[in-house]
Amino acid sequence: MAVNRKLTALEYTNADKININNDQEFRKIVGWLEQYKIKQAPNDVATILLNINSNDWNKAYEKYKNNLNCPQNLMRELDWIAGVAIKRTYSANKTKFNKNAVENLKATNVPNIVTDNPLDVLDFTTNEFVNGIKNLARILKVSPYPDPMVTLEACRKVIETKMHPAALANPKDFIIKGTPFPYHNADLGFDLGDVALNHAAKILRLLYIHDLRDLQTSANEVIVSVQNITANPKTDTKLGKVGR
Amino acid sequence: MVVRKYDEELKYLEKMSPNCWKIKKGFQPNMNVEGCFYVNATLEKLMLDELRNACRPGMVGGFLPGVKQIANVAALPGIVGRSVGLPDVHSGYGFAIGNMAAFDLDDPNSVVSPGGVGFDINCGVRLLRTNLYENDVLPVKEQLAQSLFDHIPVGVGSKGIIPMNAKDLEEALEMGMDWSLREGYVWAEDKEHCEEYGRMLNADPAKVSMRAKKRGLPQLGTLGAGNHYAEIQVVDEIYDKSAACKMGIEERGQICVMIHSGSRGFGHQVATDALVQMEKAMKRDNIETNDRQLACARMLVQMEKAMKRDNIETNDRQLACARINSQEGQDYLKSMAAAANFAWVNRSSMTFLTRQAFAKQFHMTPDDLDMHVIYDVSHNIAKIEEHIVDGKRKTLLVHRKGSTRAFPPHHPLIPVDYQLTGQPVLIGGTMGTCSYVLTGTEQGMLETFGSTCHGAGRALSRAKSRRNLDYTDVLNKLEQMGISIRVASPKLVMEEAPESYKNVTDVVNTCHAAGISKKCIKLRPIAVIKG
Repeated sequence: MAVNRKLTALEYTNADKININNDQEFRKIVGWLEQYKIKQAPNDVATILLNINSNDWNKAYEKYKNNLNCPQNLMRELDWIAGVAIKRTYSANKTKFNKNAVENLKATNVPNIVTDNPLDVLDFTTNEFVNGIKNLARILKVSPYPDPMVTLEACRKVIETKMHPAALANPKDFIIKGTPFPYHNADLGFDLGDVALNHAAKILRLLYIHDLRDLQTSANEVIVSVQNITANPKTDTKLGKVGR
Repeated sequence: MVVRKYDEELKYLEKMSPNCWKIKKGFQPNMNVEGCFYVNATLEKLMLDELRNACRPGMVGGFLPGVKQIANVAALPGIVGRSVGLPDVHSGYGFAIGNMAAFDLDDPNSVVSPGGVGFDINCGVRLLRTNLYENDVLPVKEQLAQSLFDHIPVGVGSKGIIPMNAKDLEEALEMGMDWSLREGYVWAEDKEHCEEYGRMLNADPAKVSMRAKKRGLPQLGTLGAGNHYAEIQVVDEIYDKSAACKMGIEERGQICVMIHSGSRGFGHQVATDALVQMEKAMKRDNIETNDRQLACARMLVQMEKAMKRDNIETNDRQLACARINSQEGQDYLKSMAAAANFAWVNRSSMTFLTRQAFAKQFHMTPDDLDMHVIYDVSHNIAKIEEHIVDGKRKTLLVHRKGSTRAFPPHHPLIPVDYQLTGQPVLIGGTMGTCSYVLTGTEQGMLETFGSTCHGAGRALSRAKSRRNLDYTDVLNKLEQMGISIRVASPKLVMEEAPESYKNVTDVVNTCHAAGISKKCIKLRPIAVIKG
């Protein structure tokens, strides 16, 4: 189970042999995770959690898991708490773990230079800034918004997606291809009773779908990078047998 | 079953619209909600004839008629909305095949029933597209069919060609398609286009018997027998151009591959546990049963015990069930989820093998052939979902047996690529007939908890098909239609002949007319491999 793997990663002794349906064992694991990995509970709660025979254990645990926003289901609870512990352990030793991450092993050691950001000292209220943004928006064909900061945000998006070096070198690869979808015919699923509002809702939905697509694409990229390490598909035709 | 004359039975049935009938309370005892079923004129006749036959004097034994089974399900504790019969409904074990029912998780009396999932847990359909056209494939059709047949073992007792050990199986049961991904058998995009993302998180392999695992281990990556098949299909018609386009289907003549398979012996064993233990338990608990019910599982026996304890009464002993929150109910759901994961790994392994077969034949990579999974649906499963019932949001355990989930556009549980079109619904035809891709609708969400039909649905029993049809005729007819066929046991093909089934086009047109799903693409087969 996933929880066994998480506990193994956290170096819990005999993690693959645990029986979480055993109350004592369950309490022991929770106490251990808090004491050595999460270290977040207030003193009084932590003390009770460590005393697995305490009558107040369940009460303390209830409080503890609520603080961790934990779901209500025995199996998932432990999985969740172990997940929190992994997160803590990772954050505390980020540099150590990241040094061994695949991406960094591949990348050459480029020194990380942090400079002062000149934008931090910019005065966003001056006319000079407001007009500058207006001009920038005009050049980029972005419709300006009363708040120049919002316009700037829109400009940033255009530059980020369409004007990075790779896009400028091969613009064809970055022009979105595909067949347009007649979204005005699409079922919105609700009616706001106003044509303009419905139209706006549809646009919001399209923007949401766009974001979701980006999220899904990055999830796929993560899977592929893991596959680069783990994948090794095999077949053995000698094993095959046609049935009756 | 209440014994009444056919005319009297009809008084409990009311035609609400050209495609929907209501089954009123009282048709069977203790109905908590009404039932309904969807039909067109042809299917209506089949449905009512079945009831009329069952009303004839002296008709005892065998399965109850589908319409009675729908009504019995309406009498289960905790059911909400209606007990829904889809157009392909036919009698099955406990629940009719083509029946969906939802139970309120907040009601402590609500039940889960293995009969509402079926023995082939997470039986389902997967559709792959290619960028090939009919002209590319016709000259090498025979070779391609043979190549598929060589890659994907078929038939009863077949064994797969992907090496697996016991540890691999344990992990696959827990991880579902994530296991196939980790091992590199499928693409990241495949997971995205799979119901439930190819993994049920509550799966617990520890709840599954050794026997099931032993049976399941060599069977991964095999198609199985019965109505399961892999078909090379041609896009025959496109009804909804923009939705088809979202699925990567551009025009008629494009080649697709459909895989219809389930959890093989593993899923069956999860429901049908060790007979020895069952007999012991039955003796101990004084449970009497006839032959058919012998096919029921230790799980079922445990449930029967639990039913006695919890005072759950049903109209039909085959409707064994347990309270969702009881130990038996939870154990069943966890092992069912493991079997569901098995089925996804199975279909994923066959996806891998199909891609290999095509790549070898056309000397191109599966990537260059654009062999993406369009979608993967489950039509034998129970899942926890949120629905609006009487204006209130409720968490339900939705049983779909021979019924496919069909969620509308913008539903959060469907892939981002289908947010505008609605969920693709894959309807496998029978050997030699066409298959369909539908999309989910808002109306289906309101009327049938986002569910629609799953296929043609049997019209003749297997035994009757064997008696009435000759296998050589069936094979010749397929040949005349230009369909290449590779089959492990030719003598059983008449069980799966189109004559043994309801017409899939009737079934699909009924769902379209009733608005519970929408026609998108029609596919016709040019090569079939099956058990």
